[in-house]
This record gives sequence, C-alpha cells and structure tokens, in this order.
Amino acid sequence: MKDNFYDAVVIGSGHAGCEAALALARMNNKTLLLTLNLDSIAFLACNPSIGGTAKGHLVCEIDALGGQMGINADRTTIQRRMLNSSKGPAVWSLRAQADKIMYHTTMKETLEQTKNLFIRQAEASKILTKNNKVIGVKTSQGDTFNCGAVVVCTGVYLKSKVIVGKYTANTGPNGFAPANKLTKSLLDLGLNIRRFKTGTPVRVHSDSINYNILEEQYGEDNIQTFSFMTKTPPKNVIKCYLTYTTEQTKNLILDNLDKAPMYNGAIKGEGPRYCPSIESKVVRFSDKERHQLFLEPEALSTKEIYVQGLSTSMPTNIQKQMVRSVIGLENAQIMRDAYAIEYDCIDSLDLYPTLQYKNISGLYFAGQVNGTSGYEEAAAQGIMAGINASQFLKGKEPLVLKRNEAYIGVLIDDLVTKGTNEPYRMMTSRAEYRLQLRQDNADLRLTQKGYDVGLVTKQRYNKYLQRVNKIKQLKTEFDKIRPPKEVNEMLSENGEVEAKVGISISDCLKRANITIKEVLNYFPEFKNYPTSVLTQVEIECKYEGYLKRQDVQIEQARKQETTLLPTNINYLKIKGLSLEAQQKLDQIKPLSLGQASRISGVSPADIAVLTVYIKTINK
Amino acid sequence: MFYRVKYIVMETIAAISTPQGVGGISVIRLSGKEAKKVASKVFSCYGDVSFKDIEPRKMYLGTFKAENFTEKCMTVYFKAPNSYTGEDVIEFQCHGGTVIANGILTALINNGATLAGPGEFTKRAFINGKLSLDEAEGVMDMINAESESEVRAGYNLLNGSLSKEILELQNNLTKMLAKIEVVLDYPENDYEDQTCDEVEKVLLESKQKIENLIKTSDTGMLIKNGSKVLILGKPNVGKSSLLNAILNYDRAIVTNIKGTTRDILEESYVYNGVKFVLTDTAGVHESSDIVEKIGIDRAKQAINYADVILVVLDSSEKLEQEDKQILELVKNKKTILVLNKSDKQNKLDLSGYNFEYKFNVSALNKTGIENLKQSIYDLVIDKNIISSNLLITSKRHLQALKKAVSCINDALNSLKIGNTLDVVSIDIKNVWFALGEITGNSNNESIITEIFSSFCVGK
Repeated sequence: MKDNFYDAVVIGSGHAGCEAALALARMNNKTLLLTLNLDSIAFLACNPSIGGTAKGHLVCEIDALGGQMGINADRTTIQRRMLNSSKGPAVWSLRAQADKIMYHTTMKETLEQTKNLFIRQAEASKILTKNNKVIGVKTSQGDTFNCGAVVVCTGVYLKSKVIVGKYTANTGPNGFAPANKLTKSLLDLGLNIRRFKTGTPVRVHSDSINYNILEEQYGEDNIQTFSFMTKTPPKNVIKCYLTYTTEQTKNLILDNLDKAPMYNGAIKGEGPRYCPSIESKVVRFSDKERHQLFLEPEALSTKEIYVQGLSTSMPTNIQKQMVRSVIGLENAQIMRDAYAIEYDCIDSLDLYPTLQYKNISGLYFAGQVNGTSGYEEAAAQGIMAGINASQFLKGKEPLVLKRNEAYIGVLIDDLVTKGTNEPYRMMTSRAEYRLQLRQDNADLRLTQKGYDVGLVTKQRYNKYLQRVNKIKQLKTEFDKIRPPKEVNEMLSENGEVEAKVGISISDCLKRANITIKEVLNYFPEFKNYPTSVLTQVEIECKYEGYLKRQDVQIEQARKQETTLLPTNINYLKIKGLSLEAQQKLDQIKPLSLGQASRISGVSPADIAVLTVYIKTINK
Repeated sequence: MFYRVKYIVMETIAAISTPQGVGGISVIRLSGKEAKKVASKVFSCYGDVSFKDIEPRKMYLGTFKAENFTEKCMTVYFKAPNSYTGEDVIEFQCHGGTVIANGILTALINNGATLAGPGEFTKRAFINGKLSLDEAEGVMDMINAESESEVRAGYNLLNGSLSKEILELQNNLTKMLAKIEVVLDYPENDYEDQTCDEVEKVLLESKQKIENLIKTSDTGMLIKNGSKVLILGKPNVGKSSLLNAILNYDRAIVTNIKGTTRDILEESYVYNGVKFVLTDTAGVHESSDIVEKIGIDRAKQAINYADVILVVLDSSEKLEQEDKQILELVKNKKTILVLNKSDKQNKLDLSGYNFEYKFNVSALNKTGIENLKQSIYDLVIDKNIISSNLLITSKRHLQALKKAVSCINDALNSLKIGNTLDVVSIDIKNVWFALGEITGNSNNESIITEIFSSFCVGK
C-alpha cells in the first residue's frame, strides 16, 4: 500500500515535468513521475537546440533557482553561440545545439539518480479530488496513486493529432502515444479546454546534402555557459549550415495551398505567429523572394539533419518537392516528414501566479498544456510549479517571481493575467525591465530565493555567495576616486578626454572606448578576478544611469505589487467597478493590485476603486 | 508589445486652490511626501521657527521668496494622514490676484513640486482612502459619467489635427521600435538592422516636431487661460474708466479722487474668441499712504507678468515726472500708449519717446476702444500659430511633450556615447509612453489623470 502513497505526482516527463519532479524531490517530497513512455523523457521533439533570445535567459534563471535544464544542456551541447553579441549585454542570448539523444539519456539518468523521485510508465487518466483538494491520480492501467499535490505537464500530448496533408494520426510527437483520457477529467474539474497547434520541419539524411555550396555556421568558444555550476564549458564539435528557399519553393507552395491543412480548413488549432509554417511565411510575406533556413545536426550518433525554418503540414509528395527546391537540398532524402500537431491545452487564466488551478488546491499546471511554446518556457513553469507545489505541501508561502525579477516572472504573469490565444513564446521585448534581467546576473537575482525555499544546494549557494562578495569587492575598488595621473594614460591612449580631477575606474568605464579589457591592460592587478565577476561589474558601471532610472520605475510600481488582494473578494458586488472590470477580476482573481492593473479592461479608475475597497476591508 | 503598469506615481503636487481672478486672498496648496522639503526652500517663518519644526494645523506668518518678489504670507501645515489628501499638505495664503499666486506656484514647481492635474487633490484623497466607500462610489459614478461625456465631446482628442500629429509621431516611433526589437528577438533571421544614423534621424525629426508644438503652448495657454493686459498710469488719468470702457460695464469705482483704486482689479473679456484678463492697478506714484504703497509695489511686480501693458496718459495735460517714470518702467515690454481724454484738447508732447503703438481714446465717450482691442489682440496672438490649428492648450500636454523631448535627448545622448540600439530603445519607449499620455495610447498613469480631469483643480 505504501507504494501508492506519494507527496506529489507529476504527470508528464517533458521539460516542464522533469523540472517539476526534480524540484519536488529535491525539496524532500516523495514524488512520482508518471510518463506515457520512459523513452520520451526530456525529448527534444522539435529543434535540437536549447536557448536563443529570451529563452537563454530563462535557462539561466532555471539554473539559478536550482533547476536542471542548464546543467543538462551544458553537458550535451555540441555547438553553441552567443546571439546578439554585437548588442548590449541585456540581449546577449546563449543558444546551443544539443545532442538530442544525449539530452534525453542524461536527463533520464539524473531523474533516476535523484533521491525521493520515482519514475513510472503509465497513462494518467483521472485526477482525484475531494472537497476541492487533490487526493490522487488514477491511471488507465488501473493504478491509483494517492498524493497531496499534482503537477500536470502533459505538453502537446492531450488528444494530440498529427497532420501531414490529408494524412492524420491520433498520436503524439514522433509517433509516441497520445493521452486521450485526461482531458475529460480536466473538463470535469471545471477547466476551460482549448485546442492549439504547432509543428516541426522535415529531417533529411546528412549524406544527401550538398554542403559544398552552403555557408558554414561555426560555434563560439569563451562564452558564458547556461549553468553557473558548469566548470568545463562544452566544446564546439559540429557545424551548422545556412541555406535559402528559392522562387521554385515559393511557387510550389502557392500552387498547392489548397492542399495545406492550414489553409484548407483541416487544421482548426491556433498556431503561433512566432514560428510560422513555411506556407504562412510565404503567404503573409509575399514580397519576400527567399526565406532563410538552417541545417542543424540532431545528434552526434545520427545522420538526421533538422531543417530549421521549413515547418509545414503539406502532403508528403509536396514536401519532397519543396525540400528539393532548396539550395543544397536538390537531392535530399527525407527521413521524417514535417508535421503539424494539434492538442488540447488549458486556459492559463484559470491559474493563479503560483500555477495552481484556482478551483482545486494542490493542482498545478506547467508547460505547453498552459498554452506556451518552447522547451525553455515549459521548464521555467515546471520548476515554479514544482517549487509551489512543495511549498503548498509544507504549508509555506508560495514563490511568485515579479516582472522585475525574472523573465520567468514576466512569462507567468503574462500567462495568468493576460492569457494567450496562441502558443506563447518568450521575447526580450516582453520584459519592461530588460536591462535588469540579464543572463549574466540570473544568479544574483534568483539564487537566494532558490536557497530560501530549499532547492538550491549548499554547494551552489556558497559559490553564489563567493561571487557576490567578489563583485562587491571589485566594485568598491572601481568606485575609489583616483588621481588623474593614474587613469589618464588609459584614457588618452584610447581616444578619450583626459580627466582633470580625481575619477574612479567606474566612471572611466562609462566612456565609450573604455571596456574592462582596457582597464585590465592598465590595471593588471584586477586580472585575478574571474571573468564573470569582471563582466558583471563592467556592465553595472557602463549602464549605471539606465539601471538607476529603471530602478526608480520599479520602485514606483512596487507599492501596487505589494498591495495584496484576497482571493475571496466578490468583485461582482463592488459598486463603482466597470462591468468589464468586475467580470475580468472575478475570472482572474489577481493576487496583487499590480497584477489587477495589468488586466486588459481594468482601467486605472477601477484600480482606484479597488484601492479604496482594500483600505475599507482592512480597517 | 509594450507594457507598463498603471501605477500611481505619488509625486509632490502643487496648485492654486482658489478660483482664478479677483479675491482677497489666494490659497496655494502643496501635497505629497516632499511637501515640507519643497516649502522649506521658499518659505521662512518669522521668529526663530525652522520649517522642519512647525506644528500641524497652526498658522505661521513668514516670507515667501518667489523668483521676482518676496511676499509676506501665511502658511499652515497638515500632517499626513490628517489632511484632505491624506498626505502631508502645506497651504500658503497670500494676497489675492493671479500675479502673486502664479509666482508662488512657479516657485514651488521650480523647487521640486509638480503641477497638479485637474482634480488631482481629490484623486489623492480618494486613493489614500480619505473618502469612505460610499463617498468613493459617489465619486466614481461622477467620474464615470464625466469621462463618458468627455469622450463623447472628444475631450481627450484635443482638436483633431493635433491629435493626428501626435498619433503620427507615436506611430513613427512604434514602427522604429518594432524594427529594433525584431532584430533583437530574431537575430538569426535576415531582418535588416537599422543604422544608428537612421534612428537618430527619426529622433531628430520627432524632436523638431515636438519642439514646434511646445512653441505653440504660449499662445495656446494665452487662449485658454487668457492673456494678461495690465493697465498702468499715474492717478486719475482714467485707468478705471478705460477698464470699464473695454469691459463695457462699470466694474471699477470711478471717482475723481486720486487713488480710489487701492487694490488690483482683475476682469476678463473675450475678443475674437480669445480671453484677455485686464488688470487695473493703483496709480503709480510716490505715496505716503502705506496701504496704497503696497498696491504700487504690486503694480511693479505685475509688469513682469503682463503680456501687454496699456500705459494710460492724459492727452489733455503735459507729461509729468510720474508719467515719465512709468514710461521708463515699461520700455522693454509690449506696450500700447493709450492717450485718453481725446474729447479734450491735446496738450501732450511725446517727442523723444518711440512707442510703436499709440491710440487716442476717450474712455468717457467710449471712442477708439475697438481699435485698441484689435491692437491688443494683434500684439499678443501669433497669427501663424493660431491659423495652423495645432495648439497646445493644456499644461499636462505640455508637460508630456517636454518629457518626450527630454527622453529623446536621453536617446540621442545614448546613441552619441555609442550605446547599442537595444539600450537606446529603452529611452525611445519612454518617449513613446510620454506621447501616449496625450493620445491615451498607453497603459499608464496618465489615463487616471484624464479621468479625473473633470474635477476642478484643488478640489
């Protein structure tokens, strides 16, 4: 009997499920991870890469909180680059090609070695509740597992349907079995179910590609890793290639639009604007003559090449012609067809910022089932749902990250406050405090929080404390006012006006031509500081003005963010609120005045009414 | 794509709380966390009282130091939360009339206060929970009703062409921001990055356009608030008669006793759709009468604030020393010489004085008055600006435009020191938000101000 009693059950072993299960187990909860297929753990179903703009930020944040994605990605990277490196540090974004087979096996190994974590292949068919509380999960195979918390991370597997032209199959990605029963259980619990769509491009055989005429894409060394714990950065062992569609591709698509399920009405799910199929690209940007494609190896142990940018749900014969119209792919052999996939997901507005479902305590949701897109977005929700489920089980305060603290905060706040009508992708332009939310300072923003809830290990925490001290130390040194003669050589030799009065290195760093490199040239005594510390202090100095201004904005918003709203307010009875505001507030049940203020349809006048109302009930 | 919290920024605000125009006293109110700090910079209490130590709800006499004058006035301090707004509030009571009150307000703003928007004191009282729920609901009903009618009346849309102009500015920025952001979020796609020169060009163009709009605000404010026309002259030249003639009714007490007008009289009239505020002063001459002396000092101060000065001379008499003194006082201001008593024989000799605008009038018979009014209008109103139909008439709009320019300057400066576009875009977004405060095309605090703007300033 004891076998069937757990603190928490996590349904699904994708990127959200892995992080949720690991967080729960590491926070000392006896955790069961249910998966439809053990071979699909942490499966990179779409592109074989982790990170990218804003997504790299999410991975660093997951890592800073004590998550696994960053470590696992660093261990299985076969090529990596820092995107936007010509731009400011806020938008530097690490993107890595991961070996998709190693990524899966390495993560599976980690799960298997984790104390308190039990992995079981089975299909969850029903969530059991009593008095609006979670009490367990039933499986199709006939087991019942009792538990106090459930995290649902079903990704794209709920009633999933794969579409290739006229061919459809009720399967999950890559032919994995779908989860056909759980949707009904969710509907019974009162959740709103929707249907979204996403897709993945073709895989071709490497030996059939004419690489000679293609542009090579190399990785970069000496760049930050995802994990603050990674000691040896991964090496770049593969090349990617850049190629383009041709006029022939375009004509082929336009001539066969009637066969595209996206356009002939066969697909009803909402697809993402952020990674459109090639047919939508051609239709929407008809003046564009060619579209860029990347060829990325899927793993070291396979010849499969992923054709990034060629997502489609066209019939297989058209796909073949399309692929062969691409430069360098004239003789390409398709190994796997591109396909579109439709799936059930929930409306994220049904969730609190803790990712708990509003009507059932102990029931959490994370990942693509919440209407997002991307591994990193899923993992970010997974770790937060795991942390909050654990806090719930222990009767402790939930951890809700604010918009000015993390991209994770922006992501979840957007989901539960604004909702989404298409698969939600993280973007740097969604963050209003972008300069504060960088990859390089993710640990400074989040590791303390991760430690406080008990997820960050002592080892990681000590490393963090050391870094904090080093940064403080170096900043103090840099802030010292020095006589002009100490710095003027550095300034004049780099084309900057000499200082006439005392000046600090911090101030010198504000000059355009002075970077940390110049400082180290003239002040070699600082060379013993680690690069990560030097970079950190350099950024703080260079962007001090901006950071301070954003801090002022954050402070101004703080009062509303910290004014909490009880969830049992009957908004429909508050006179003075507009009808739309009453309904929206009643649906979303914001936890703070700040969150309420971001709901569309809630006007500042409504916020003023709420402010007064809160004061009255607190009296 | 953009997103800003509708937070409530509690800056320290100030406004004149008494109605514009004539009154025995004016009250200027200051509210917010920094109220005492701001006040202490401009007001010193008599006796050995430091501003820091003043007791709440007690009247203090002291000196207010404004830019162009010092004024003896009273102050009272209400400590938060026991005040109308629920914040620290300081009120100044000074002599009546707009000149002094405006001077005091300006000094407060120059020392850290922000001009209160319409109804902002009430808004704060409301937000700080000073009104009960019942009262609050009553207020909300009123606000909702007001805002609806405002929307219908196109209140927020200013005049059509101005709104169009600002929306266009904002749209240009939106396009540019989108171009910057798309490159950042999709670096691998072959979207063309904008060059810093292109960004700078758009910014400079926007800045030019906004600055041109700001330039119209003087005229705009004049049209909205009235331009100040000051009547000056030695006693008994007929200043009050002239005022009555221009107003076309008897406002001032007219006697032939010198010095009948001892305080400043303010009245307004409308000409060609523009409001003029006419100010009559005590006669400017050396007086031993202490009450009248104060009036004369006022007049001298008033010259600084006037948009146009009418110097009234008695054409039936020769220039006297006092006339000459007056002509000396106004020589650098927009001045019209009003040669009154044209019904009598002309004995006035103005040789040696070079005033462009001179009018013979008879205030008594009301002749020459129309010409005079037209001339005042011509002197104050810039015809080019008024015909362009792009006029800034709201102080809040003016503030938003100034903020936009300041953010553009931040952006330009940021470009100059070599910052990358992802960083510069932070400033550009701030420009966008500043313009959004006018167009309503943003999610922030300005909207709350708009909604509350149906309330009169100060309550």
